Amino acid sequence: MADITLRVNGATRTGSPEARKTLADFLRDDLDLTGTHVGCEHGVCGACTVIIDGRAVRSCLMLAVQAADREVTTIEGLAPDGELGTLQQAMWDSHSFQCGFCTPGFIMQATAFLSDHPDAGEQQIREALSGNICRCTGYQSIIDGVLLAAERNRER
Amino acid sequence: MTAIAAERYTGASIKRSEDPRILTGAGRYVDDIKLPGMLHAAFVRSPMAHARVLSVDVSAALALPGVVAVLTGAELETMTVPGPDALMALMGWAGPTPEFTLLATDTVRLVGDPVAVVVAESRYLAEDGCELVEVEYDDLPPVVDAAFALDPGSPPLFANLGDNIARTHSRHEFGDVSATFANADRVMGFHIDVHRHQNVPMEGRGCVADYDAGHGVMTMYAATQSVHVTRIAVAMRLGMEQDKVRVLAGDIGGSFGLKIGASREELAVAAASRAIGRPVKWVEDRGENLTASGQAREESFDVRAAVSNDGALLGLDVKMVIDTGSYPGMGAMVPDIMEAMLPGPYKLAAMGFESTGAITNKAPYVAYRGPWASETFVRERVLNLIAKDLGLDPVEIRLRNVAPRTDPPAVMITGRPLVGVTTRESLERVAQLVDFPAFRRRQAEARAQGRYLGIGVATFIEAAPGPRPPEGPSGPMGMESMRLRLTEDGIVALFTGQMPHGQSHQTTLAQIAADEFGVPFEQVRIVVGDTDVVPFGLTGGSRSATMTGGVALHGARQLKAKVLDFAAYLMEASAQDLLITDGNVWVRGDPASAITVSEVARRAASGQFGADVDTTLEVEATFDGGEGGWSGGTHCAIVEVDAGTGIVKVERYVAVEDCGALINPAVVEGQIRGGVAQGIGAVLLERSAYGEDGSFQSATFMDYLMPTACDVPRIEIEHLETVPLDADVNFRGVGEGGMIVAPPTVVNAIEDALSPFGVRIYEQHLPPARILELIAAMDPGQ
Repeated sequence: MADITLRVNGATRTGSPEARKTLADFLRDDLDLTGTHVGCEHGVCGACTVIIDGRAVRSCLMLAVQAADREVTTIEGLAPDGELGTLQQAMWDSHSFQCGFCTPGFIMQATAFLSDHPDAGEQQIREALSGNICRCTGYQSIIDGVLLAAERNRER
Repeated sequence: MTAIAAERYTGASIKRSEDPRILTGAGRYVDDIKLPGMLHAAFVRSPMAHARVLSVDVSAALALPGVVAVLTGAELETMTVPGPDALMALMGWAGPTPEFTLLATDTVRLVGDPVAVVVAESRYLAEDGCELVEVEYDDLPPVVDAAFALDPGSPPLFANLGDNIARTHSRHEFGDVSATFANADRVMGFHIDVHRHQNVPMEGRGCVADYDAGHGVMTMYAATQSVHVTRIAVAMRLGMEQDKVRVLAGDIGGSFGLKIGASREELAVAAASRAIGRPVKWVEDRGENLTASGQAREESFDVRAAVSNDGALLGLDVKMVIDTGSYPGMGAMVPDIMEAMLPGPYKLAAMGFESTGAITNKAPYVAYRGPWASETFVRERVLNLIAKDLGLDPVEIRLRNVAPRTDPPAVMITGRPLVGVTTRESLERVAQLVDFPAFRRRQAEARAQGRYLGIGVATFIEAAPGPRPPEGPSGPMGMESMRLRLTEDGIVALFTGQMPHGQSHQTTLAQIAADEFGVPFEQVRIVVGDTDVVPFGLTGGSRSATMTGGVALHGARQLKAKVLDFAAYLMEASAQDLLITDGNVWVRGDPASAITVSEVARRAASGQFGADVDTTLEVEATFDGGEGGWSGGTHCAIVEVDAGTGIVKVERYVAVEDCGALINPAVVEGQIRGGVAQGIGAVLLERSAYGEDGSFQSATFMDYLMPTACDVPRIEIEHLETVPLDADVNFRGVGEGGMIVAPPTVVNAIEDALSPFGVRIYEQHLPPARILELIAAMDPGQ
């Protein structure tokens, strides 16, 4: 057990995870932030993606203790007052998802990517999201949602 | 949520009411459930494909702090009722029925076969406990392929069967098979293989079982396609009355046929909760999911085709062997559907079909999106092979063979009428959209530069729900029920046994009910996932558009009539003169008379009325599918094959489909695209791979490759809506078609691309290494 302090969705949180506990399990079990989903536990599917200090990270490949003193954003941090963000709204408008299990990972990955690449085109977006697996949609609706969000961001 | 303005919700791409929770991480999946005192289960699994279990020593695991219990297969047998696979029992299977235990007791039959379950204070500790369980095995020869399984010398996996036959050989003939083949201009023969691949929902299987000893009630939080089928399975195996088992389900992270009923692991978790008296959660990890949850396909076909010189496919004679894996269920039953479906939309004069099911030391065969799909692969592959031999265009050979649309409709040689099938129209439309002559010119230019482009088409029909059976709907896939109630708050509540896991029923059923009843979309609530309140139902088989859409429509109509009878009493008007629009009840011609539906509901609930006034604003509706009908269509792919690397790129993909009237076009198109992506994955990437010793070789996402955003092209979709069949309900399902027809579409395109090498393709899995082998076999110089 190690005492850690970290910032999660803008709030200071503390915990005492076992050294071997993944960040994904810590977020879900210890902090009750179950929006982060665990899809493969070996870093391929991207369902558990969160943003740490501005970068998209697979929380199944990181230990909770490694997140000490870091700034973590999970899906719950994107619409804290219930108001959907631009990307979430664009994905709703685009019918981006079906079962919703991969959704938080895609949204976190796309959020980090769009903040660094606001002018990205379709092929760039496809490559940026190619580390996230969706089994339901065939991806087109997800790509359309990200493209729509980028367009709306540019118009603002 | 903002109000949605639409003339009619049905037919519009209404935004999904599921999405506000899905998009904010507020969905509630089974792994998100946390109950007081909840324990966690992990399974000890066999590392061998086939072995005798000599001993299981759990003492070290039990001594580990945090481990609460370890139950072996033998112990679980004393706590549960032996019996056949629940799904086989429910489907009325009468063939070979292996006797097997919940967990393995004396024999393990696949890598990943569960031997014991460790229950501990956390999943981490449960997995630690698994490491400490010592199992002594004695190797048995693995039965890794169907050919060996059917050899009388192979060691039987199940003692009570005495051999490895899951489905005894059967042969059926339709039409005059021998005369058709004797009189044909030519008879061609092929051997075609479909490889093993699997569902892989992003959320694996899982459950939380919570046994309340005080009340003798088991509550199961499940990820399932049917809470009621899960309840039946739990009650059967645990020896409980069904009404003492309550199954609840929330959001479900996909299934594609995998999560029907309750798996052996889930039943063991239920038994463990009952034995320990605390809630127990089990959520499989990806390794368990890939290794042990179930796999599909892997059939081989010996095909003879009777053909005329002008390209008519006169007859097919097919011998199929299906590899059902280790614990037979769906795999034993699916050949009957394949036999019935093999003619497709084509006018065969005769057909013979033989099938045998083999039991092997692999994961069990489960339903996977379009479980009968391999017959479509065979038929559409054979048509292309014939076309190549005769020098016919792939669209032309299909147009020559497709059954004409007549009244009454043409009947498949296997017996079902082709009601509403518009294959011809979809073929013609695809040809227009794609412009074959222009493609052939581009293909020739590309070949001159050493680039290999190819085009492929394939057609399919999907029984969604299929033509109205003469004997009426029956069995688990039969009549659909729904309870509808106008709640005290004025909400139109639909209680359905559908268990959506991505299909968007919360949106689509509300669209239909809102239109039919006359309330805003937001005033309809869809209630799912609780055996205490929803009627029997199952989400699967592409049936919900017609069956549940239909019962929602007719049920809303019945509920409306009931509400209007009460409103007529309140408003001192005749029910025939009342209308409901936009949530208001009013007398025709007198808008000032309007009162809200909510007010009507409040008054009904007020208890102010005598027994002579019916204030129960609730109906039980059923729907038999009406006139039913098929979905279907034609898909077309253009691919480029890199002859140097073997990499196939899908450049363009066009789907022309007819599913009747669309409830929500964006939802329909999502289903089609998702299915096509799985079909592309099946051909180019995915394979459940076993070694010669039965070892499992694709237990991670680095070995079992899934299509990503860079592998799936934009999919162009056009809808035909040619034939209204029913006065009210013309919605037909689209859940499976994409996955059924994409594999032959893509393989046909790849073969076309490789035609300069003379390559003929008789298999479905074409990763780069295999493409290079196919080219090298034709061109040793390459």
